[in-house]
Amino acid sequence: MKHSICMVSDFFYPNIGGVESHIYQLSQCLIERGHKVIVVTHAYGNRSGIRYLSNGLKVYYLPIQPVYNQCILPTVFTTLPVIRNILLRESINIVHGHSAFSALALESIFHARTMNVKAVFTDHSLFGFADLSSILTNKILKFSLAGVNHAICVSHTCKENTVLRGKIDPSDVSVIPNAVDASIFTPTSTERDPEKITIVVMSRLVYRKGADLLASVIPEICSRHSDVQFIIGGDGPKRLAIEEVREHFQLHDRIRLLGTVGHSAVRQVLVRGDIFLNTSLTEAFCIAIVEAASCGLQVVSTSVGGIPEVLPPDMIQLAEPSATSLVESLDKAIAKRRNCQLLSPDGAHDWVRKTYTWQNVAERTEIVYDKISAATEVTLADRLHRYNKCGLVAGKIFIFIAALNYLLLILCNWISPVQNIDLAIDCRKLRRLKTGGVNLEQSS
Amino acid sequence: MAMSCDRSRKKWQKVLYKDQGVSDNYVDESFLEEMKKNLHIRTYEFWAVVRESNVVMQQIYSVWIFVAVYFHMRNFVLTPQFLFEMSSAVTIVGYIVNFVILHENALTKSRWKDGKTMGIFLILGFSLSPILMTLTKTISTDTIYAMTFFMLLANLLFHDYGTDAAIVSQAFSLNAAIFASICLASRLPTTWHAFSLVTFAFELFALWPILRRNLKIILSFLLGSVVTVSVATVSSVAVVVFLLLHLFITILCPAWLIRLQPYKNNIHGPWDEAVIKQ
Repeated sequence: MKHSICMVSDFFYPNIGGVESHIYQLSQCLIERGHKVIVVTHAYGNRSGIRYLSNGLKVYYLPIQPVYNQCILPTVFTTLPVIRNILLRESINIVHGHSAFSALALESIFHARTMNVKAVFTDHSLFGFADLSSILTNKILKFSLAGVNHAICVSHTCKENTVLRGKIDPSDVSVIPNAVDASIFTPTSTERDPEKITIVVMSRLVYRKGADLLASVIPEICSRHSDVQFIIGGDGPKRLAIEEVREHFQLHDRIRLLGTVGHSAVRQVLVRGDIFLNTSLTEAFCIAIVEAASCGLQVVSTSVGGIPEVLPPDMIQLAEPSATSLVESLDKAIAKRRNCQLLSPDGAHDWVRKTYTWQNVAERTEIVYDKISAATEVTLADRLHRYNKCGLVAGKIFIFIAALNYLLLILCNWISPVQNIDLAIDCRKLRRLKTGGVNLEQSS
Repeated sequence: MAMSCDRSRKKWQKVLYKDQGVSDNYVDESFLEEMKKNLHIRTYEFWAVVRESNVVMQQIYSVWIFVAVYFHMRNFVLTPQFLFEMSSAVTIVGYIVNFVILHENALTKSRWKDGKTMGIFLILGFSLSPILMTLTKTISTDTIYAMTFFMLLANLLFHDYGTDAAIVSQAFSLNAAIFASICLASRLPTTWHAFSLVTFAFELFALWPILRRNLKIILSFLLGSVVTVSVATVSSVAVVVFLLLHLFITILCPAWLIRLQPYKNNIHGPWDEAVIKQ
């Protein structure tokens, strides 16, 4: 069964990042499988309106500017008319929102459910429970997930976290991991320095990514092994700490700080290494270690969040989030490298190429879409009932918001009736025409 | 979908790279196994909490004494001279007590500096008191009383009771109290009244907390009775309110806190941000 899917998020091209590339790659694979996919996001500077990306992927850059943290201002009701218009024009039957940080995604899911369009939500990150910002965010998530038909998480730890935060039934959450485009991350043996053992670090140098751990691990490793060198890509507030370590221990020839590395240059840096070091303090999935494994590097990482689930034990050395444990694991990895006991780079690459593919992700996502399409409709009363369960006081507020949204939808239907809205051209028909010689594909 | 059951079915592993033959929304028995609840919980003992609630009551006593003194001065029961002499004497005694308790072997220079500060303050205060008095004279009495109420409330809220919560701001707390005293000073007849009230406010809200922290003995009972008596002579309604407030904070609030402990729900698990172990 072929669906018309609308991907919504505040995070999309021209921004480069995990969520952005996830949406793009998933959309492309779904188009390959014959579905219709559009993307809705906010304006990026002057980039506003409708653009087409490859394979007829239509992107709506809504004329709303981001306010804070690349997200739009959450107003709940003002996005209703424009989202309703898009969903009707494109005859969408499934709305797929990404990332709990994205106000646009959560609002679009809410409007979709008000219009009885099926909704799916993908969560890409882990949250705490105890501090004030987490408590508020989790309440908002409960509200969103109370209405959603199905949720997708990128790892089992992420699923546990989402189920606890959003208080939803665990069988309504599917675990579909991220994937990597293995054709980009290929290993080469020529870039590596055969005399030395190179450890590559590629992350933002912030507290969350364990930059302090990195700063304490480097001098220890450098003193134990004289042939080890570090290449560190990425920038951030903790860069100073690394530079101080370099100064203090006189390791100028053994530590190279590259600063911010553009996305297209990441592979070039990765293939120069033998070992990839990840010191994050929290990660839902960590796509960086999969990219590194695809380039043939042995991975050494802190065992936090979803990281233990991602790679098999012969491709990753896990450590506790402490300097001593990391040093121990690095020692083991370095010893294995010296004794040539590591998995060959080509072997690692082939494994990643077969295991984490976007086609597999799209296939599993399609199963979710089929399942929710077949499910029976939920009445307004049932929806309000579910919102009421979100809390003693909050439940009543959520019911009020949902009811008001429903009334506003009726108002929109009266002002601009459904039959007066023109349907947009379906790009799938255009693609079929393309083979007949008419090339209407535009790429931006 | 799930494979048909075979007797040699392997245990489900929490990994993403294997196709374990189950659907994506499969929920294993080990779901949420690693979740731990209420790891670092404190148990409270009722009388210990009552004793600790004393810290809050001490500051409330200060506020009530201050307001009672204002009303006494307004009713001409208390003369500004008497207030000034009494508060100065108590301050000097308190200063010596503080000095003795801290066993400071500081040079006499520090004493000289403190003396100079006091002198400068008194002179400045006295010369500025006509201005202080007329600062808020044109505002209606109701507004003044409302502002005083909120300022003293702010003093109580932001006062440093010994915790390191984000809301604590000693400077803001003191400023609010002094502003309250200036508001009230404008309702008094002469500059001498205003000066003595503001000086008293400074001694009560700035200097007394310092001594209180170092004393570590509970003056509650003595202070409580002083407050009750002084408030009773102003208004009987006020003393009833005061006693009810006292009861609420000292007995009811600790009981409530302890009654709510079973509802504690701290969730810990592998999704928590790791704490770097040394």
